[in-house]
Amino acid sequence: MSEADPFGYTEPSSLLYRLEFLLESDPLIDEVGFIHPSQFAALSDMSGSPSLSSMSMELQLADESKLKASPVNPTDMDFWSRDHKLGISTQAIHPLYNAAKHAFSSSFKQYKLLINLHAKRVGLDGDNVSNASSLATLECEVMKHSRALLLLSCDFGTAWNCRKEVVSKKQNIMLYLDELVVSTLVLSYSPKSERAWSHRRWVVKMIAGKCTNLQEILKNESELAQRIAEKSKMNYRAWNHRCWLVSYMPESQVIDELIKYRDWAGLHVADNSCFHYRTRLLTRTLADSFYKQDLKASHVHTAEVCQLWKEELSWSKILIKRYIGREALWLYRRFIAMCWIKHFAARMGGTHVESFVDNELQLFRSCTTVPDNVFEDYQSQAMFAATYIMWLIKQMDERQGVETREKVGEELEKVLNEVCPEKAFLWDLMTKKNGDLI
Amino acid sequence: MGDLAAEKHAKYILLVEKRKDDVESVLMEHLRINGAYWGLTTLDILGKLEAVEQERVVSWVMSCQHESGGFGGSEGHDPHVLYTLSAIQILALFDKIDVLDIDKVSSYIASLQNEDGSFSGDIWGEIDTRFSYVAICSLALLHRLDRINVEKAVKYIISCKNLDGGFGCTPGAESHAGQIFCCIGALAITGSLHYVDKDLLGWWLCERQVKSGGLNGRPEKLPDVCYSWWVLSSLIMIDRVHWIDKEKLVKFILDCQDTENGGISDRPDDAVDVFHTYFGVAGLSLLEYPGLKAIDPAYALPVDVVNRIFLR
Repeated sequence: MSEADPFGYTEPSSLLYRLEFLLESDPLIDEVGFIHPSQFAALSDMSGSPSLSSMSMELQLADESKLKASPVNPTDMDFWSRDHKLGISTQAIHPLYNAAKHAFSSSFKQYKLLINLHAKRVGLDGDNVSNASSLATLECEVMKHSRALLLLSCDFGTAWNCRKEVVSKKQNIMLYLDELVVSTLVLSYSPKSERAWSHRRWVVKMIAGKCTNLQEILKNESELAQRIAEKSKMNYRAWNHRCWLVSYMPESQVIDELIKYRDWAGLHVADNSCFHYRTRLLTRTLADSFYKQDLKASHVHTAEVCQLWKEELSWSKILIKRYIGREALWLYRRFIAMCWIKHFAARMGGTHVESFVDNELQLFRSCTTVPDNVFEDYQSQAMFAATYIMWLIKQMDERQGVETREKVGEELEKVLNEVCPEKAFLWDLMTKKNGDLI
Repeated sequence: MGDLAAEKHAKYILLVEKRKDDVESVLMEHLRINGAYWGLTTLDILGKLEAVEQERVVSWVMSCQHESGGFGGSEGHDPHVLYTLSAIQILALFDKIDVLDIDKVSSYIASLQNEDGSFSGDIWGEIDTRFSYVAICSLALLHRLDRINVEKAVKYIISCKNLDGGFGCTPGAESHAGQIFCCIGALAITGSLHYVDKDLLGWWLCERQVKSGGLNGRPEKLPDVCYSWWVLSSLIMIDRVHWIDKEKLVKFILDCQDTENGGISDRPDDAVDVFHTYFGVAGLSLLEYPGLKAIDPAYALPVDVVNRIFLR
């Protein structure tokens, strides 16, 4: 082993060499996980061919019987792969990390040296051709080793950064899109990796305006976030990414997303992040309709948006009544109700605000009976219903607030007394004398 | 529920430092300087900072500095504002801020402010209100807030306020207790808390206390010791801490201790780590638990350290 390669990663038998070989031989690997050595035996029983060395290409070509008869390196206890899934032994992590980190650092150092040299020499001599070819080799090394490293340590920022550096020098859309693939692979084992998510935003920012299919890419991004949110509940990073995408979406896509994912939200009623995503989308519809006020299309558009909000309100009510005591549903209703009052009911004039509020008071009253204490869900429902009305009163304009609290103040107090007498902040807010509360 | 196992927690932290070649520790090396800040601040609150070899720590911190002036998470790692604040905070604990080339560090941070007042975390441009806090807190500790446009920085933070009174990482992002701490901390340091509807935000923060007494960071989530810091410090800064049940919260934190081997976990009976040990002890300090040094809710450093910097 040379000094530049103290871990011997250029040896085909080394862990790092094998890992990188596997990744290169099957570019379709879409999931990585870590496996305890004791699980290898079980995996081999399942597949009939335990080893990663029997690559997926062979798997696709060979039939079952042939597979069982071809034990290519059946004693491999470091890696496992099948159907484009890659397993790494937990015992291999530490030595692999050390090797990957070393290989990454030394290749990146050389790359930077050459880049500097290149910058100085450009146009001066005839060395450019050989420089260019060694630069290409080094780029390839840096990308290979940084990927291996990120599959072991997902938030290793320096490795993500070096990829950005290499890719941004090339200005090739395909290379940017490849970065999304690497990020997806990292997210498959670490769905909350902050750096992997931020790498995706960097890609989107770099290609926005330069590629023709941005809308499709955004759609894929949104779907990926949803897929990950499905497996990793209330993943702030995934939902945050999705919210971030909204500012790049054309209006039609905003509306599509609202409609398309309504059912999913209905099946995830405790997922506050998913309802916040709807908050973000709905807020965009308001901005767009204001923007268009001067245009001829304005009238039709406003009606469409208005209808969308109406549907959202009745859908939210159905969920609240069906799924008892869900905090996320009530918080979501605070948002849509308040926006409805401010942006729609108040503009319609007449008694629109008053009758809307009366309906909400009815909803409150219908949610305050506590038939049993078995799961404490009815108490929660009553508390959320009461705090919902309190919250609206605080957010309404003063006259509406005074009117509403005259109608319902005593009832609210009674409910809170029954279900959550210990919540000091609610009592303080109830009795505040600054004119905006009960 | 027992008392705070202060001695054991101090021992646990010193032991973690010694085990830095373990695989768990190696895989986290990119943020080791954050870990050092959590561990050392905990030791200081517990009154045990003298157990640490100061010179060795200071020279290691300085070895993490990059030529740009920013700090990386370990030696040889790329710089980022998150690690730069930890470096400054560690030096502050030891009264060693003067070893820094203050103008160079401030230039690095100031160079990351964007036109709209927001801050990028590093040259690659990810924007987040956490980075606003980190930049503002760092520059305040260095007495160099004049290097940035504070008015625009504040304006950007306010643009991340949601209808529920909370704050997210960018405009329109979901409210999150950790982000709220950053936004409120930055507004407190720049004297801009008048932009906050304290009753509305206090309301959201108090709704984070669950039955067990613990606090969660978002609606419908399980309680976690780290929010004893993020939620509690925010409530203190907006003067609404009397709205939660402090006794129950103390009990929840104490229930998360490993009373045998030291350390605090996210929830009772989980595995301990330095991150949660720091937030548990810091939370108890905010709750005025006896025997602990007071911690400043905005700078996240012991009050005597902050006073040394600003009252000198």
